[in-house]
Amino acid sequence: MRITAVVVKELIQLKRDPRSLVMIAMIPLIVMLLFGVGYGGGMGKISIAVVNLDKGSLSWTVIDSIMKTPSVYVKAYANSIEEGRELVKDGTVSATVVIPEGFTQELMRGTSTQVLVIVDESITTISSTIRNAMLAVTYKFQQELVRSVQGSSVELIYSSVYGPKVTNLEAFTPLVIGIVLQLVPTSLISIAICKEKERGTFEQLIMSPISRYDIIFGKLLAFFIATIADMLITLMVAVWIFDVSVRGPLIDAMVVSTLFLLGSLGLGMLISVLSKNQLQANQAAIFIFIPALLFSGAFMPIDMLSPSARILANLTPMYYFVSAFREIMIKGFGLWQITWQVFALSVYMALMMVTAPLVLRLRVD
Amino acid sequence: MEYAIEISGLTKKFGDFVAVDNLDLRVRVGEIFGFLGPNGAGKTTTIRMMCGLMRQSKGTIRIYGYSIPEERSELIKITGYMAQRFSLYEDLSVYENMEFFGKLYGLNGENLHSRIRELLEFLDLKDVKDRLAGRLSGGMKQRLALGVALIHRPKLLVLDEPTAGVDPPIRRAFWEYLRGLNKEGTTILVTTHYMDEAENCDRIGLMNRGRLVAEGTPKELKRRVFGGDLVQVVLEGHIQGGVIKDFLNVKDLKYVDGETVLRIILKDASKELPSMLRRLDSMGLKVQSAEPINVTLEEVFIELVTKFEAAV
Repeated sequence: MRITAVVVKELIQLKRDPRSLVMIAMIPLIVMLLFGVGYGGGMGKISIAVVNLDKGSLSWTVIDSIMKTPSVYVKAYANSIEEGRELVKDGTVSATVVIPEGFTQELMRGTSTQVLVIVDESITTISSTIRNAMLAVTYKFQQELVRSVQGSSVELIYSSVYGPKVTNLEAFTPLVIGIVLQLVPTSLISIAICKEKERGTFEQLIMSPISRYDIIFGKLLAFFIATIADMLITLMVAVWIFDVSVRGPLIDAMVVSTLFLLGSLGLGMLISVLSKNQLQANQAAIFIFIPALLFSGAFMPIDMLSPSARILANLTPMYYFVSAFREIMIKGFGLWQITWQVFALSVYMALMMVTAPLVLRLRVD
Repeated sequence: MEYAIEISGLTKKFGDFVAVDNLDLRVRVGEIFGFLGPNGAGKTTTIRMMCGLMRQSKGTIRIYGYSIPEERSELIKITGYMAQRFSLYEDLSVYENMEFFGKLYGLNGENLHSRIRELLEFLDLKDVKDRLAGRLSGGMKQRLALGVALIHRPKLLVLDEPTAGVDPPIRRAFWEYLRGLNKEGTTILVTTHYMDEAENCDRIGLMNRGRLVAEGTPKELKRRVFGGDLVQVVLEGHIQGGVIKDFLNVKDLKYVDGETVLRIILKDASKELPSMLRRLDSMGLKVQSAEPINVTLEEVFIELVTKFEAAV
């Protein structure tokens, strides 16, 4: 079979290329370890969400003061108490601070007002850190307030929620796996075709009875065999070294990862077919990676974005992957509960697989 | 089938630049056809269009009856191709390169391996079969490229500047391989800008500025330039030119050491030489020697191109 000949040839070439080998094996290890060391062991900031129902300016003084607190950071803004509670429940944030309607008005009038803090109580060290932080914030705020308005006070009330017990490390795991599974395969395969064109080997290749499907799928298969290692390395490091628990079926997590990995390879292949040289291909791979990262939903929940940004996010495969992987890992879902993400990832993969061979021309002009 | 290659009205334009201009060409089955011309004459473009690697702007191409580019997949089965630039995988070994292309042609198992062994033997590459192609010398690379082109026993070999940048002894050896293949019936189309190599060809096409300036056997081309074969005749004593010029086409005449050295032009030296000698003899002139002069193709080429440039 011609396609097997291409697969064997590509694997031999990969084996002899130290740069590619380092990329396949070392990048996932390095990224995982760096990130594990950075976020592991309870260090790092605790993420919280803010719901600001107030229309005055004093609420912003409070938010500003929360932002300046070293132990927490504001990850998202929600529009309602329910939304805020959901974010805690599904483990997106560890707490939500709700500033009530008329907050500024009541304080200026000299009456007291209440700030609701919805806390995830599943990890006690985190919930107590949040309590301490909020106490400090309100204390500081009151001291400044007393100077201008007499008699007013801010009271903290807490509402307990039991989230999925997500550690910081776990919260970032889907994103890191997503980064590895997009960056490595895409940039690795993005030079596959244009390297042959640049070196002149393409001319000899297409003077043999090879079809464009043999070329594209032979290369894809070879790189898939090679980059499956990346999926396994990242998962293994997460589960065994960092003790991240995948609550859903591991095999489902692998299926989702494989879909995304194939999509990334297809994307890289498309870049390779369209690029004139290797430099251009590398740049394109990185360029596409940046918006994928920004709209992945890992830094800020998609629901919090502006409508136009939300559309972009909905077109970002990384978003579906991170979300699907999260649901399996944290909520313990199986594939049947995340059919929408699986469907989106399958469409992405299929589209990438089909486009590259259609665009490739077996000519040298 | 008489013709391996039939091209008519072939034209390729890159924007305003006409790389190949209304080219007509026929190559017979079983011949070595040399495509000559300076760099940029349009040889590579013509070859690429012939192989369907590039679309022609106009004109028809038939290779063994298959029209190109429509029936390119048929062409590929019967054609071996060697590109101008070394275009095999430098990070694969000699054997791996041959194996890969062999498999693409559908060879496998013992068929493939015995064919590779045969070619390694024929091209004297046995000792370096496990060496990476990138580490081969220029001559070895060229032989490997020929080996890959031959893997499927093609009827037609298309070689684009196969000997560019290779030392003369290696070039000569390479032509030995080509002649051997040709004897076995392989039609060969080869481009070169080494004029001495072109002497090896059965027929030659001279290309300049995208046009075919002249076409024919090396002999025909030489005759065409001077209007016939050049023969040098040495006569005893000082002979006045007038006597001879009456019935011979004398190009020039000089006296050396009491002898007369004539350069005359005959339409066909092999036929006319004996009768001419008899004629001179009957006139009482003593012929010391008479031999055809070897005109180099380089002279022919320069002459033709100069004429062509003047006409343009």
